[in-house]
Amino acid sequence: MRLQLPWRGRRPFERAPQAEVEDEIRFHVEERVREYVARGMDPAAARAAALERLGDLGSVRSECTQLLAEDRLAEARRTWFDDLKHDLRFGIRSAVRTPLFSLLAITTLALGIGANAAVFGVVKSVLLNALPFGDADRLVRIYARMEDGSMERSSISAGVTMDVRERQHSFAQLATFFQGVIDVTYAGDATPRVVKAAMVGEGFFPTLRVSAARGRTLTDADTKTGAPNVAMLSWPAWQREFGGSASAVGTSVRIDGDSYEIVGVLPRGFVGPMGSAEIWMPLDIGPALRDPVRARKQHWLAMIGRLAPTTTREMAEREIVRVGADIAREHPESQGGMALWAIPLRDDMVGDTRTPLLVLMASAGLVLVIACANLAGALLSRSLSRRKEFAVRIALGAGHGRLVRQLLTESMVLAIAGGAAGLALATLGLHALRQLALRALPAYADLALDPLAVLVTTAITLVTGIAFGVVPALSVGRGNTQAVLRDENRGTSESRPTRRLRGLLVAGQIALCVSLLAGAGLLVRSLWAMATAPLGFDPNGVLTVAVQVPSNAYNQNDVRARFFERLEERLRTLPGVSSVSSTGELPAPSMNRNGLSIEGVTWPAGQGEPFIAYESVSDDYFKTLRIPLREGRTFGPQDRPGSTRTIVISEAMARRYWPKGGAIGARIKLGPNEVMPWMEVIGIVGDVRADPARVQPEPMTYASSRQDPWGMRTLLLRTSGDPLALAKPVQRELAALDPAFAMHDAKLLDDIMSDRLAGRRLPVVLMIAFGALALVLASVGVYAMFASMAAAREREFGVRVALGSSRAAIAGLVLRQGGIWMLVGLAAGVVGTVFVSRSIGELLYSVRPFDPIALGAAAVILCLCATAALLVPVRRATKADPIAVLR
Amino acid sequence: MPSSLAKDELEGPVVFAKEAGLLQGTLELLVLKTLSWGPMHGYGIASWIETATDDVLRVEEGSLYPALYRMTRKGWIGGKWGTTENNRRAKYYHLTSEGRRQFVEQTSGWQRFASAVNQAVASTRAPSWAR
Repeated sequence: MRLQLPWRGRRPFERAPQAEVEDEIRFHVEERVREYVARGMDPAAARAAALERLGDLGSVRSECTQLLAEDRLAEARRTWFDDLKHDLRFGIRSAVRTPLFSLLAITTLALGIGANAAVFGVVKSVLLNALPFGDADRLVRIYARMEDGSMERSSISAGVTMDVRERQHSFAQLATFFQGVIDVTYAGDATPRVVKAAMVGEGFFPTLRVSAARGRTLTDADTKTGAPNVAMLSWPAWQREFGGSASAVGTSVRIDGDSYEIVGVLPRGFVGPMGSAEIWMPLDIGPALRDPVRARKQHWLAMIGRLAPTTTREMAEREIVRVGADIAREHPESQGGMALWAIPLRDDMVGDTRTPLLVLMASAGLVLVIACANLAGALLSRSLSRRKEFAVRIALGAGHGRLVRQLLTESMVLAIAGGAAGLALATLGLHALRQLALRALPAYADLALDPLAVLVTTAITLVTGIAFGVVPALSVGRGNTQAVLRDENRGTSESRPTRRLRGLLVAGQIALCVSLLAGAGLLVRSLWAMATAPLGFDPNGVLTVAVQVPSNAYNQNDVRARFFERLEERLRTLPGVSSVSSTGELPAPSMNRNGLSIEGVTWPAGQGEPFIAYESVSDDYFKTLRIPLREGRTFGPQDRPGSTRTIVISEAMARRYWPKGGAIGARIKLGPNEVMPWMEVIGIVGDVRADPARVQPEPMTYASSRQDPWGMRTLLLRTSGDPLALAKPVQRELAALDPAFAMHDAKLLDDIMSDRLAGRRLPVVLMIAFGALALVLASVGVYAMFASMAAAREREFGVRVALGSSRAAIAGLVLRQGGIWMLVGLAAGVVGTVFVSRSIGELLYSVRPFDPIALGAAAVILCLCATAALLVPVRRATKADPIAVLR
Repeated sequence: MPSSLAKDELEGPVVFAKEAGLLQGTLELLVLKTLSWGPMHGYGIASWIETATDDVLRVEEGSLYPALYRMTRKGWIGGKWGTTENNRRAKYYHLTSEGRRQFVEQTSGWQRFASAVNQAVASTRAPSWAR
């Protein structure tokens, strides 16, 4: 008896167990009957005898059926795991066997997943995560603005905060606080240090719904005049000063020379709407309210409201505008031209970061799309080149399900490797971002990898992998297996629709890449313009040291002024110092401003006085910062405390208010104090761009620090050597004069100015990174397209060469076929650029959205990379060996 | 009943009754032995056992098939559908490598068992209590 093939092209277990048992027994009975008949029995009797020998046929049948069913189940399970093991091994082996493809796929996945997960981590922490306040989405910030547009987010006066409290009906609670943070000298046990302090008034902690981690929060009673001195510590300050000890509450510390009792510690991660501070002190606005001038003319407070349960944000915003208009009508002298408005607190705190973040998110999304297109293209040609393999396997009896499973496993192997690499990349990226974005992001942002983002991006890439890796393989249907097998040439080459699909994928990649590069180019040009446009002063080689004056010992203006004169005198003798001066405030985007009055000029009704940046500087300030004098003189010894108050103005100021000249000698007043003496304009100096991110310099006024010395001063030292080497000597000189003075970290003015651009730099750096990523991916895509195209037509090229075609003609052929798609991509990229430049329009600075340099550079860089990418495949195409191919 | 064949001849002494637990293992050993010659279907296995034992042992067919399925389940034998000389489809059983191992092991076990029983049965030395 010879065995033949046990099953031809059939699955081994395609019959129901019952039927199989039935067949087997029937065969047995028939054989037995044949035997008996052969031995002379009549067929009917033989059959009966055969059946009888089997005994209880029913129970035999059911027992066998059950055993067979169990066996098959176990077998199926075993097979499944065997298959999986086999598929995995096969997947890894095929990944290793085609290292270039695997590397491409894994890198592509890693870059796409990594970039997206990292950027989404930032976006989520800034835009989506909760603010450190209870039910923060019901909080609204109230601002004033000048109707002439000069100030958008201005603080409000004590009187106005009381008006708002009385007239509003939209808010359940309102908080009043000082709008910034101040520097105070803090002395626990150790030497005095300068720390940031926040001043919070009525209703602050209840409105924000923040409770103390230890002790209690500040209450309204603490803010009343005559209440005992109390303060809260931030969590980090508590950790640093008291090692997190519970005994901190109740301890007495010295702040600016006065004794304060610590009553509580704020929760970890708490950041106020004014920024982070280490000390939180009650703010008493009583004295300001009692002073008729300060009550309405000093704008220094901020307000936050919690919406009442029944009001909407829009209702509250409308009400605040109406209340503001009423106040302006009733107090034209102090509120003229000033309006109130409200904005959701989150929008306020997210601030300028929203647009860059959304742009980045979009860029990361584009990179992901490019990565997917790349993966799709690579998988497409790989699956097609494996069609023959699949056809062979189908012919040998492999089911479609089996093939799909194997392809899925292969994709999984790649996806897992790519995903792991992507996660590592995202972690690294976030780490880098944390360094880069420290100052550019809102204080509450805590950058962390978002698991959902990782999942979603991984899912997207997986779907791409499946769509382009598995589906083409399935096109080797049962019907065309033979065709694929027989067709030796075309079985491995690309058909016209797939070639078009690949071309479209590459064109899309190029288009997206051009758009990204153009966007990056525009941002780079903007940043370049910002960084290189003259600031109006020379921050190079200048050391800045902020000094806190102990207020109790130096509350006399002339004492303060004399101290700084002596200090500057001593610092001038330090080796290498060419010039020393001090200022109340460094040039900054938001500076102290005062309302301006000009002698003999009445501001148009309803417009109110303009607010002008105002700085108190020592004599050598202009010399130290190399701000040129245009007209008149700068300050000198003659500008004494008792003599005529003098003022120096900037060119922009002179241009705006004395357009026909004659500014010198004019008399102006700055500030809320009505009884303040007139100040005489003695000089005009060059403009200073206090905010490096803005093109137009603002009007500036400078007073002599001898006549208006501020409590907080920043020393400026110009030196020819290393400015930071001066930090220690400056500290020594300061301590020699008075050890009670606290000194901030010495910083380079250059660094401070470039920090101001950090927020601008972040999107630029990231956009360049994304542009580079896109460029790499698109180049790989171009390479892959040309390579597979050249490989697929190698035989054809061989024939052409054999028939006398020149190498150049063949290169032209390849280039024509792929070049069309590159041109399509470039054209589409121009369209994409329109969208990109429109969306980043508000980030641009003195660059037109269609800057030819940026756009041209993007196109040229892309073409260079694409050319480099296609050189290798084109060269290989021209090397087609007619002999080898034809044989 | 046909007259030419005795009922006795058709049925024979039934050795491998389902209930006979002791002899179940023996049936499996005989199946292993049969398949050690090569793949065979259930009918062929039963026939060969009868021929090999000179018709002394007659397989109770009601237990043969469950035994075959149990042995398949244990992984000793495998079954595949094939075609007989007469071009009929039949399920052929074959030894797996595990089955081959079992066969060697059980054969030597059986031989030790049989010779031990044999030795006892054929003993001529009377026990002390019979003397």
